[in-house]
Amino acid sequence: MRDTHTGAARLPGVLRAPLTRRAWWEAAYCLAGFPLALVGFVLVVVLLALGAGLTVSLVGAVLGLLFVVVSTGLARALAAAHRGLAANLLGERVAPPPQLRPTGRVFARLDARLRDAAGWRSVAYVLAKLPVAAVQWYALTWWVTGLLNLSAPLRWAVFAQRPHPGQEGMPTITPIPAGGGAPHSTSFAGTFVAAAIGAATLLAAPWVTRGIVAVDRWLVRALLGPGELAQRVRNLEETRALAVDDSAALLRRLERDLHDGAQVRLVALAMSLDMARERLGADGEPVADPDRLRRLIETAHTNATEALTELRDLSRGIHPPVLDDGLPDALATLAARSTVPVELAVDIPERPTPAIETIAYFCAAELLTNVIKHSGARRVVLRASLEEGLLRLRVTDDGRGGATVGAGSGLTGLVQRVRTVDGTLDITSPQGGPTSVTVSLPPHA
Amino acid sequence: MRVVIAEDAAVLRELLALMLTDRGHEVCAAVGDADALRAAVTEHRPDVAVVDIRMPPTHTDEGLRAAIDIRQDCPGTGVLLFSQYIETKYARRLLAAGSAGVGYLLKDRVANVAEFTEALNRVADGGTALDPEVVTQLAGAARRTEDLESLTARERQVLALMAEGRSNAAIAQALVVSAGTVEKHVAAVFGKLNLPASEDANRRVLAVLRYLGA
Repeated sequence: MRDTHTGAARLPGVLRAPLTRRAWWEAAYCLAGFPLALVGFVLVVVLLALGAGLTVSLVGAVLGLLFVVVSTGLARALAAAHRGLAANLLGERVAPPPQLRPTGRVFARLDARLRDAAGWRSVAYVLAKLPVAAVQWYALTWWVTGLLNLSAPLRWAVFAQRPHPGQEGMPTITPIPAGGGAPHSTSFAGTFVAAAIGAATLLAAPWVTRGIVAVDRWLVRALLGPGELAQRVRNLEETRALAVDDSAALLRRLERDLHDGAQVRLVALAMSLDMARERLGADGEPVADPDRLRRLIETAHTNATEALTELRDLSRGIHPPVLDDGLPDALATLAARSTVPVELAVDIPERPTPAIETIAYFCAAELLTNVIKHSGARRVVLRASLEEGLLRLRVTDDGRGGATVGAGSGLTGLVQRVRTVDGTLDITSPQGGPTSVTVSLPPHA
Repeated sequence: MRVVIAEDAAVLRELLALMLTDRGHEVCAAVGDADALRAAVTEHRPDVAVVDIRMPPTHTDEGLRAAIDIRQDCPGTGVLLFSQYIETKYARRLLAAGSAGVGYLLKDRVANVAEFTEALNRVADGGTALDPEVVTQLAGAARRTEDLESLTARERQVLALMAEGRSNAAIAQALVVSAGTVEKHVAAVFGKLNLPASEDANRRVLAVLRYLGA
């Protein structure tokens, strides 16, 4: 097994083509597609023809329309099967169109099914698939005849397949009809001519297959997908879910911070004040243990100050007040607070909307935190500018690199957050650095 | 009174220990999570454990689960749960195994040191201490039956205080009325809830259970 692989690897690409996994999968796809295409084509055409024929007469119209509706539904099911084949054998993964679930009265539902664009695109695919599948089966004959001819010497010598006396000789089969031109092997030596033709055919077979499969791929993408609008809707649904998750996570974090921080401090404050009051005793009584009392009041004071600090940090985490003065000021504050020196370059002539400013600010804060925590960088460059109608935020550091999305780096959260406003996050971070992260946001969202 | 404290916020844990020691109680152990709590209770067999519901690692209900285990394994140890929010679901789970030697208070209640230690004492003695908030929530979620509807507002108030685990004397003090008046109200509650005097059952507990819809 290993030998064939290394042997194959040494051959130039063109010669290697018949041995590639891709060629075999494509051939398998051609083989599997045709029966489904044929059955599907016949069923859909018959149903459509029945439907169309009946619709001509007023009486048959309802029945005819029902046939049409059934045919689009059937085409959707066939399309699903073709999508599965394309995904499993070709790796051509296309998202299915949204399910059709019409509601309302009977006629409204019928109308919706008749106007089912995805259903009609499925019909178009099923109709177009038959000729394509026929060509795909023809492409398979290149493989079959190639193998047959290639094995001619073997058949002659080992299996003793020889022409009977009086016959023309063992025929050479070619995928392209050669009339009487195809040579007939009349001797063992002659079979090598057939073998050479077979080898040539086999070398060509993957390219023939690939060509017709390419046409099919194009059809699959164009006709079996969800359609542009549905794709956009799907995308929006996904990003909306992200936005909801994002805000839910934020609220959860806030609750945790309050629960573990300020709330505990305030309970402790109230408790030490109550203990201090008990210690004071009734009116006019001398205080028994003034030192103890002082310590209780000091504890109360510490807890009050700590609660204030925690609340301030918390509210800054929700909305940093400096952001009200615009992104440049906010980024300057952020840069000033960083423990790694930050070179700041901001050129934003026009103010983005507040939501975008907030996202950009938190991205910058998170990216700077990442630099400080993980990169070991000695300096950072933070640029923010309006380019090509996008707000671009770029954080570059001279650290050790190797940052990836998903490695618990907090970058995953950022990607999700910027996606909620159709933004993007690009990262280049080779091992050994430098790391550069670019966040692009639409300035008005 | 010998006490074990389980609370993950160090500030509060230390202050609680200080307060209890101040009042002459013995704090056997002050720990920060449920496993340490179980170990400390097994080792010290305290009279009562003060347990925060939300503790590491999941910050959900580990304190509650530990409390239920402790009540089962060490019946001599009362458990006073406290947390920053009252969850009806948690209260039900806690009370499902009986109301003796358990308590459930809002964390804010420690701000009133005297009342808090009073509740702690009650739980240590095998009594009950439920936060008024718990009582309101449980009673609010309970099915309102006809006999409960027939109680007057004052009688219902007395019943709610009974549900918190208070004695007649304590109820009288809370409502600023005489002990006799409270007894009269309690008798009326028993009558309206159809609970005749009997030696087999504690009418007080039955009335409270009816009230809380248990």
